Amino acid sequence: MSLGRFLVRGKPDIRALTQVRDIRGLIAALDHRDFDVQWRAARALGTMGADATLPLINLLGYPDINTRLGAIEALGAIRDPRSTKVLAALLASHETSEIRWAAALALGEIGDKTVTPALLSALRDDDRYVRYGAAKALGQIGWSAETDQDRAFYCIALQDWDAIKKLGTSATGPLIDMLKERHPAIRAQIVEILGFIGGVEAKKSCEQVLRDPDGDVRWRAVLSSRQCGVPTSYLPLQISKRQRTGPSAFGATLLNFFFLGIGYDYVGKWWGLLILETYIMLLTLAQLELGPFMPFLIFYPITALFATQTYFMVKRESEMAG
Amino acid sequence: MNFSTLLIRKKPDIEGLAARKDIAGLVKALRYNDVDVQSRIADILGSLGTEATDELVRALKNKDKNTRLGIIEALTQIKDPRAVPALMKTLKDESSEVRWETAIALGEIGEQKAIEPLIYALKDHDKYVRYGAAFALAKIGWKPADDEQKAFYFAGMQEWKAVELIGKSAIPALSHILNDRDSNVRQKVIEILGEIGDPAATPALVRSLGDANSEVRWKAVLSSQRCGIRPIHLPRGLSRRPKMTKNPLIAGVLNFMIPGMGYAYIGKWWGLMIYEVDIATTIWIFKYWGETNTYSTLFPIYLLLAVHAYYIPKKMLEPPI
Repeated sequence: MSLGRFLVRGKPDIRALTQVRDIRGLIAALDHRDFDVQWRAARALGTMGADATLPLINLLGYPDINTRLGAIEALGAIRDPRSTKVLAALLASHETSEIRWAAALALGEIGDKTVTPALLSALRDDDRYVRYGAAKALGQIGWSAETDQDRAFYCIALQDWDAIKKLGTSATGPLIDMLKERHPAIRAQIVEILGFIGGVEAKKSCEQVLRDPDGDVRWRAVLSSRQCGVPTSYLPLQISKRQRTGPSAFGATLLNFFFLGIGYDYVGKWWGLLILETYIMLLTLAQLELGPFMPFLIFYPITALFATQTYFMVKRESEMAG
Repeated sequence: MNFSTLLIRKKPDIEGLAARKDIAGLVKALRYNDVDVQSRIADILGSLGTEATDELVRALKNKDKNTRLGIIEALTQIKDPRAVPALMKTLKDESSEVRWETAIALGEIGEQKAIEPLIYALKDHDKYVRYGAAFALAKIGWKPADDEQKAFYFAGMQEWKAVELIGKSAIPALSHILNDRDSNVRQKVIEILGEIGDPAATPALVRSLGDANSEVRWKAVLSSQRCGIRPIHLPRGLSRRPKMTKNPLIAGVLNFMIPGMGYAYIGKWWGLMIYEVDIATTIWIFKYWGETNTYSTLFPIYLLLAVHAYYIPKKMLEPPI
């Protein structure tokens, strides 16, 4: 987009553009600043029929995300079978989850049954929106689950937790697979259901989530472990092996020894930089007075004291975080 | 506030002031920053009865928030209807605590003419004020005139089930409450909109697709499905959410001009350390090698740092939607 166009862009008249079937004009309106204009342009493009299919497909490599999303939306409305292949490719491998999500929904609108395998693998996506979109699309094309595993993935995608509980042990595998989910709340929900279902496999995964970085997920795992028959005496050791997300005590100590103050900054104390400034200032002044090396002999014993204090401070704080 | 009072603030002699019925002194003492002292003073002022009303109402113009809160608490105890006009003004106070306290006071005094402003306060953007106003209205014995008022009332009371039962005519009220700053309230409202399941909620739900809070966005997706919004329109609605991405160009230029600051801008804690190290090194090279050498050694390094800082935000993963 050129700068001039960005500055002096009025509101395009979507209705007029629609009447004269100006596909290029409507496409240009897709990245308009005003969300309402984008919205109406995408809808209008959807009414243009198969004429618009090829220009819209060409748009899928455009850098602006709103344009791409608008194009996918319009393709979903046009329902031209020529676009299914491109959309399935986007769904399978595009890096932006919104694009994958939109592609899944558009495939549902088009309703071509040949894309079922692509949608089924999208049920296993690690983004909840993509999974949800794929499940919706499968519903639209009239798919019904043939295996228990597919049904389980479908229910997980719709977050229909009651239905999953009813599936019993056949849902265990898919649930464990979905522990890769980024949202802690969903991981916690999965762990809870695994505990409800029980069984040997679930037992193993409960052990894995005992080391989850999220405190709430770990706690649910503790509760579920008991239901799965994991011996209680076994839990504390597993919990202690959890992924630590907080700052490392050793790192903070080392930093504070060499650059007094930055270690405090590293563990999140705002006044760390204040100390660093003062320290560097004193060091430089001392160096101007005593030469480059002598001041270190004076300063290192002092920073060593601070470093020791830092070590115990960080240890104590990470202990409290549980 | 006078600066000297900030420094040498003695604990006020409350009992002495109370014995002398020194209202002005007691009001002044409300500034003393200790909750126990403040509520004791409010109690004493409240026990003075209607003869204190006029002076307290005059003091309501005080700029100190704690003072206003204390006075309103006292007026709540006195229950003098003469205080109502002044309280109707503080119902629009800039502080949400004062508005809340005022709503409670108006409920205790129980004057009918407070009903109009209290209905207005049911639309406040702060949930505490809405809660207080709903309670006050109930206390005065007010009954909602129509479904929209009923919806505001139950929403203020946090009785979401009752709001849901009102159905379609609760949607304007719910859309209004979506402006609340508390994302938990917004989530709850969206859930209720989904339960009501009427297409009239579409504008509110589409707006919430671009919410700053990720759970609100997700709930908006789920609820929109129950209100008949076609899912194909959702992804573009979501792409409106505020994004916290850093500009690579700013990071690069900053890192070249002030090495380390570019890193700090991206949010790397060690950016300022590099900044410090750079300053110290520059001084030393300057002292021992002279100006030309300083620049010719350091500039290539700065250039590398700039390029590095430019590529970090480019590669930073976008947060999950």
